[in-house]
Amino acid sequence: MSSHDAHSIIVSPVGEFAPDLLDLIRNEIKRIYGYPTDVMTLLDDLEFAFHAGRNQYHSTPILEQLALRAPAGAVKILAIVEVDLFIPILTHVYGEAQLGGKACIVSTIRLNEGHSSLNTQEPFLGRIVKEAIHELGHTFKLRHCREHTCLMHYCRDERDVDRKSDQLCRYCRILLDDEIKRLQKS
Amino acid sequence: MSNTKILIVDDELIMRESLAGWLERDGHYVQTAASGEAALEMLKNTRFDIFLVDIKMEGISGLQVLRKIRESDPDAEVVMITAYGSIPSAIEAMKDGAYDYMLKPFDPNELGVLIEKIIQHQEQARENIYLKEQYKERTRFESMIGQSKPMQKIFDLICDVAPMDSTVLITGETGTGKGLAAKAIHTNSARRDGPFVTVNCGAIPEHLMESELFGHQKGAFTDAKETKKGRLELGHGGTLFLDEIGEISMRMQIDLLRVLEDRVFYRVGGTQPIEADFRVIAATNRNLEAAIKAGSFREDLFYRLNVISFTMPSLKQRKEDIPLLAEHFLYRFSQETNKPINKISREAMDEMMLYDWPGNIRELENAIERAVVVGKQREILPEDLPIFCHESPPIKSARSLKEVEKAHIEQVLAENQWNMARSAKILGIDRSTLYSKIKRYHIEKVA
Repeated sequence: MSSHDAHSIIVSPVGEFAPDLLDLIRNEIKRIYGYPTDVMTLLDDLEFAFHAGRNQYHSTPILEQLALRAPAGAVKILAIVEVDLFIPILTHVYGEAQLGGKACIVSTIRLNEGHSSLNTQEPFLGRIVKEAIHELGHTFKLRHCREHTCLMHYCRDERDVDRKSDQLCRYCRILLDDEIKRLQKS
Repeated sequence: MSNTKILIVDDELIMRESLAGWLERDGHYVQTAASGEAALEMLKNTRFDIFLVDIKMEGISGLQVLRKIRESDPDAEVVMITAYGSIPSAIEAMKDGAYDYMLKPFDPNELGVLIEKIIQHQEQARENIYLKEQYKERTRFESMIGQSKPMQKIFDLICDVAPMDSTVLITGETGTGKGLAAKAIHTNSARRDGPFVTVNCGAIPEHLMESELFGHQKGAFTDAKETKKGRLELGHGGTLFLDEIGEISMRMQIDLLRVLEDRVFYRVGGTQPIEADFRVIAATNRNLEAAIKAGSFREDLFYRLNVISFTMPSLKQRKEDIPLLAEHFLYRFSQETNKPINKISREAMDEMMLYDWPGNIRELENAIERAVVVGKQREILPEDLPIFCHESPPIKSARSLKEVEKAHIEQVLAENQWNMARSAKILGIDRSTLYSKIKRYHIEKVA
């Protein structure tokens, strides 16, 4: 575990990822949310969340563990994993977030269309970054947005992710600014 | 943020929570119930738009919950959640009115699509109801325009009278909208889907009236080349509107009385009795009681017609409706004539408000039609109105209305030391109207 700045967003990879990807995510977090970032390993393995019957990982307990292990002063935690995630009622998810909570997670496996997590080719790189920023948005209380180009728009498939922009719409931007102001006051 | 309220009914906590969390992120308002019993309890206090109900639960089953929801709120939609082994129950649920069923675990895309589809379906259903209501509201008193108290009373009366099947007699001056009131009664009655047949008793020559009302058999008279149904027969299942009933001849009054009593008649030249089921609404601008006294109207027919009666107010009695009516007619005639006149000038409106409209709404309608035809500007000016033209030039031998008005305004102003607000109040006009009259009549303050 490395040291971190107070009031930063923790980017917590589980597994090995291309440095370019992590850099890009950190830059985007800074650009959209305005917080500095720290890269920190919070979970060494995800076996506790593994479901043998489905051969997938249950994302909700992972979020709970991440939130429990959050260092003091961490604003939010974004975990990046390369395993296939699910929540019990759904066949799979790209990611999950605690709405208005501390932690969120994004999986690269489906967005990468099965490629290695070290892959940094487009469009995979852009997709992962967009979905990471999207999941983080939920922890700032942002919900899915109807605006197709907004980062908070819910994407049904990879093509939807490619279609949406790397920006929040005006409405989501205002809601995010309000939430950041609220967090800074508290 | 959507306004859709979703209730998830599932006895497995993990299912409830994972689904609730997912749907909340979509912006829905989500609540959960751990059993069928808990769901039914929640239903007593909260209305939900969509229910996601697990079929297999301890206690009250998902199917029972579905039936209870369908009973209490037919507009809500229920999606059954089922495991692979319970598909036959899911099919049973569809027969019982479930919107759809989903096999656990769902593909997240399918869930999103389904919820969106239900929301759209419900929005569309609500929109249809709204459009129908709007249409009903518009056609309820078709073309009857008025916000004045006398008209509101008429609207209430029509609402009360319409559902009854009694005969109605509508009285009122010419041009007050008796025909529209009759149509509104018909439109609001149980006979609304039946015909509304009008017989203008004053317009049909007496010798044609019998054939017009009762119809005729082929060969009944020289011109009867075909068998023709009369208005009474055409009105079967609907409403027969006898307009200007006061103009009907004594002979026809006898025939009509018989029909109203028996609802059976014969075509002219026919031998087969014809039964017709219609409601009668009659209208007249004549004082029928005076006509009875004068011997020109049968008392027994009057009482047969006068089961329910009301009088349409004259336009003079509902002057506050003039702007609304005038705007309505202006819109209609400017559309019809394709002329870009879209406004009535303040001065023209003042003139209309001061005029007594003996010909009532029909006269107002004609005045606006003429103004639209002759108008050269984008707005109607006083000189475009026939009422304004009629007032001038002043009649030398007697005092004109204008002279009387001018003198009266001068007197009221003098009595109130030219206090505009007070004078306007006494004159029953607003201040701007008073100013325009002072200007028009060149009234000056005498020192």
